[in-house]
Amino acid sequence: MHNSHRQPFRTAVLVLVWGWLLVLVLAPNLLVVGTSVLTRDPLSFLSLPLTLENYARLIDPLYLEVFLHSLYMAAVTTVCCLVIGYPFAWALSRLSKRQQTLLIFLLIVPFWTNSLVRTYALKLLLATNGLINNGLLAIGLIDEPLTLLYTELAVIIGLVYLLLPFMILPLYSVFEDLRDELLLASHDLGAGRWPTFIHVVVPLTLPGVLAGVLLVLLPAMGLFFVADILGGSRNLLVGNVIKSQFLDARDWPFGAAASVLLTAAMALLLFAHRLSRRRLGEEAEV
Amino acid sequence: MKKLALAGLLAVTLSGCGSDDQQVLNLYNWSEYMPQEVLDRFQEETGIRVVYTTYDSNEAMYARIKLLDDSGQYDLAVPSTYYVNKMRNEGLLTPIDHSKLSNYGQLDPELTNLNIDPDNAYSIPYLWGTTGLAYDASDVGEAPVTAWADLWKDDYSGRVMLTNDMREVFHIGLRVLGYSGNSTNPQEIEAAYNKLTELMPAVRTFNSDAPRMPYLEGETDIGMIWNGEAVMGKADMPSLEYVYPQEGVIVWLDSFVIPKNAKNVDAAHQFIDFVMRPDISALISEDIGYATPNLAAREQLDPAVANDRASYPTAVDLEQSEFQEDVGDEALQVYTKYWELLKAGR
Amino acid sequence: MSRWLPKVYLALVYGLLYLPILVLVVFSFNRSRTGYSWDGLSLHWYQSLFNNHAMVQAMWNSLWLALAAATVSTLIGALTALALHRYRFRGKRVLNGMLFVVMMSPEIVLAISLLALFLLVGLQLGFVSLLLAHVTFCLPFVVITVMARLSGFDERLPEAARDLGASEFTMTRTVLIPVIAPALLAGWLLGFTLSLDDVVVSTFVSGPSYEILPLRIYSMVRVGLKPEVNALGTLLLVCSLMMLMLSQWILTRSKR
Repeated sequence: MHNSHRQPFRTAVLVLVWGWLLVLVLAPNLLVVGTSVLTRDPLSFLSLPLTLENYARLIDPLYLEVFLHSLYMAAVTTVCCLVIGYPFAWALSRLSKRQQTLLIFLLIVPFWTNSLVRTYALKLLLATNGLINNGLLAIGLIDEPLTLLYTELAVIIGLVYLLLPFMILPLYSVFEDLRDELLLASHDLGAGRWPTFIHVVVPLTLPGVLAGVLLVLLPAMGLFFVADILGGSRNLLVGNVIKSQFLDARDWPFGAAASVLLTAAMALLLFAHRLSRRRLGEEAEV
Repeated sequence: MKKLALAGLLAVTLSGCGSDDQQVLNLYNWSEYMPQEVLDRFQEETGIRVVYTTYDSNEAMYARIKLLDDSGQYDLAVPSTYYVNKMRNEGLLTPIDHSKLSNYGQLDPELTNLNIDPDNAYSIPYLWGTTGLAYDASDVGEAPVTAWADLWKDDYSGRVMLTNDMREVFHIGLRVLGYSGNSTNPQEIEAAYNKLTELMPAVRTFNSDAPRMPYLEGETDIGMIWNGEAVMGKADMPSLEYVYPQEGVIVWLDSFVIPKNAKNVDAAHQFIDFVMRPDISALISEDIGYATPNLAAREQLDPAVANDRASYPTAVDLEQSEFQEDVGDEALQVYTKYWELLKAGR
Repeated sequence: MSRWLPKVYLALVYGLLYLPILVLVVFSFNRSRTGYSWDGLSLHWYQSLFNNHAMVQAMWNSLWLALAAATVSTLIGALTALALHRYRFRGKRVLNGMLFVVMMSPEIVLAISLLALFLLVGLQLGFVSLLLAHVTFCLPFVVITVMARLSGFDERLPEAARDLGASEFTMTRTVLIPVIAPALLAGWLLGFTLSLDDVVVSTFVSGPSYEILPLRIYSMVRVGLKPEVNALGTLLLVCSLMMLMLSQWILTRSKR
């Protein structure tokens, strides 16, 4: 009797959910993979002969250089976020519950202003006539304005600024779970600060680190507008390449191949993340 | 009750977007290429609201128009010289109905019936202009800036700006080497590429959204600029000078075209004719500093604008100048390849 | 020292995070046109913002879109979370995996895949395409929020309701919905924020018939320094803070 009652609602829910995900997630992704093995056609968008040439072009020195440079900027961004975010998340987790709630809230508030607007505000700060240069000139630290805008550094600053909270939040959640008893136990067993940190804290927070890396590294390769506004179209991200292949050069297959590459990178990182959690789980059981 | 509110909300939301009974004209144009006043006055007179969306390169415009080909979302676009030809040949355009354009006769005969579009069957000239040299007189020092080749001087390292336009950038590379800016010869294009790679370390940024801005912001001191941008920039920064380089300036003509599947062809014609009215053409030219092809409008211009050599070059200024032409798909591929190489090379 | 150091560090990072926003707010009241020097207090940029019809139109469009996207994604997301929580069905892990992939994949990948889909099926780029795209990227976040709420919930309650003869639908409405209501609000707000802030996906799937704020801002920012952008950023900040406080207020009231 139960079953006859519950079927229609249950079926409706499942059909809706599955339908949405199959049509708007699975199908589009398959389309992109399909596109990436087709040939570019100047008149229509795609034409037949199936080819792997688009993938071969990814390792063409020209694009390889762009990708490596983008990866380099994304990696520096990630490291900066980690270096800033790790102690930050730790310090945050030591505060009282009420303070934590307030500070987490403050971390999210900037997101309520459009990220473009915030990137633009950074431009106000970094420009040759901008506030940083004017400030430093005024207090006499420098004699000539620094060249900040339209440089690699500006892009990295922009990315760190936009992505830092994505590193902090997962780190914060692992630090919050990190029980003081464990640290105390380690201490009682005679381990000093460093050994405790290396052998207890680092492994236990590793999943958070990897989650943070995942949330920072990939977007850092895709946020084309940061490179557009702060990099002066000289410091391209993979995102800029994909965007220009789709929206300017009309080379869809190549753009699709580049995006498959990004997806593959994501899969790799996800795998690493899972692995670290599983290892951690096993260790805990032992 | 809650469900009702939700349904109501959704209904309002969905109706909020579609049911606009006001007539709308979707104009796809370069950034800052038409004063707001023109759009406002057009709406006042005709009741048609103009939605102005922007692009920063012919390539982006062309890609977008092709992308939205079937749904025909754009009613008007403003491609440069050679793209008119390309789009026309590919059947992307709606023929212009000259019987709906009362002001067509006032256009400069030298700028109509060109080989990019015989009899202006598919395009109507909007503005023409030049891409020349700009420099900030307060920053570049004593040495006079007279030629494209000056950009290669060591003094300006890290202070050079180029437009984000493949053909324009290669144009200067080709001209510096003494070739035609419309070259279709792969060897010449490659030579220009090699010449330009020498310049690249000095280049700070590419900008085709508003090429005057990097100069105003103090980020660059010398480089390429469109004449109208130089005029607008000079109003804010008097030390910004516009120079017609010795090797020859780049000349272009931007024209209105109506995409093939445009929904509002009548309004598009109305708008073109409105812009061709002498008073409106004069207003546009005075406001954004480019030259109008409308002879009747030129007589109405403020003398200060009409005599500004940046906006309206003299015959001497145009010596050695070259009009941008369609180079054909094959050469375009070569250009594109080297352009990507140039921009990716660090 | 070791007591103070962490707090100083926190304060420093917050200072850096808020510096650009402070600049934005302060300069929105600056009369100067260039945006680099201080020329005195003025509301000029707010005025010119509101006189900019295209901007105001884009603002409304964005607002409608965010409302719709948040509402639809909350609806579907809540149902998904309930299904994942309550039902056993084939492919549950696949479903979970897909949601996870959406959440993790770089926006640009999602953007081009949706663009490819919309072009293939011939959907006109505009409100509908934007809505579908925004709901899709908001969905996993709503699901997670609601799931988190459901995981701490006594399983016997819905079973009891069903045993007492309530249909699945009635049970969901009377037992589960009230339980997840705070999560629904949180998910809705999250969706609203994500939709309002999105630049990458919208760049690809929008058409001229429905221009939204981020794209308008993008074309303004690309052109150069526009003090109106400061004013707009300040307004966005104030509005969102007010909304957040409102939601906070509703939440604390509902707890009592």
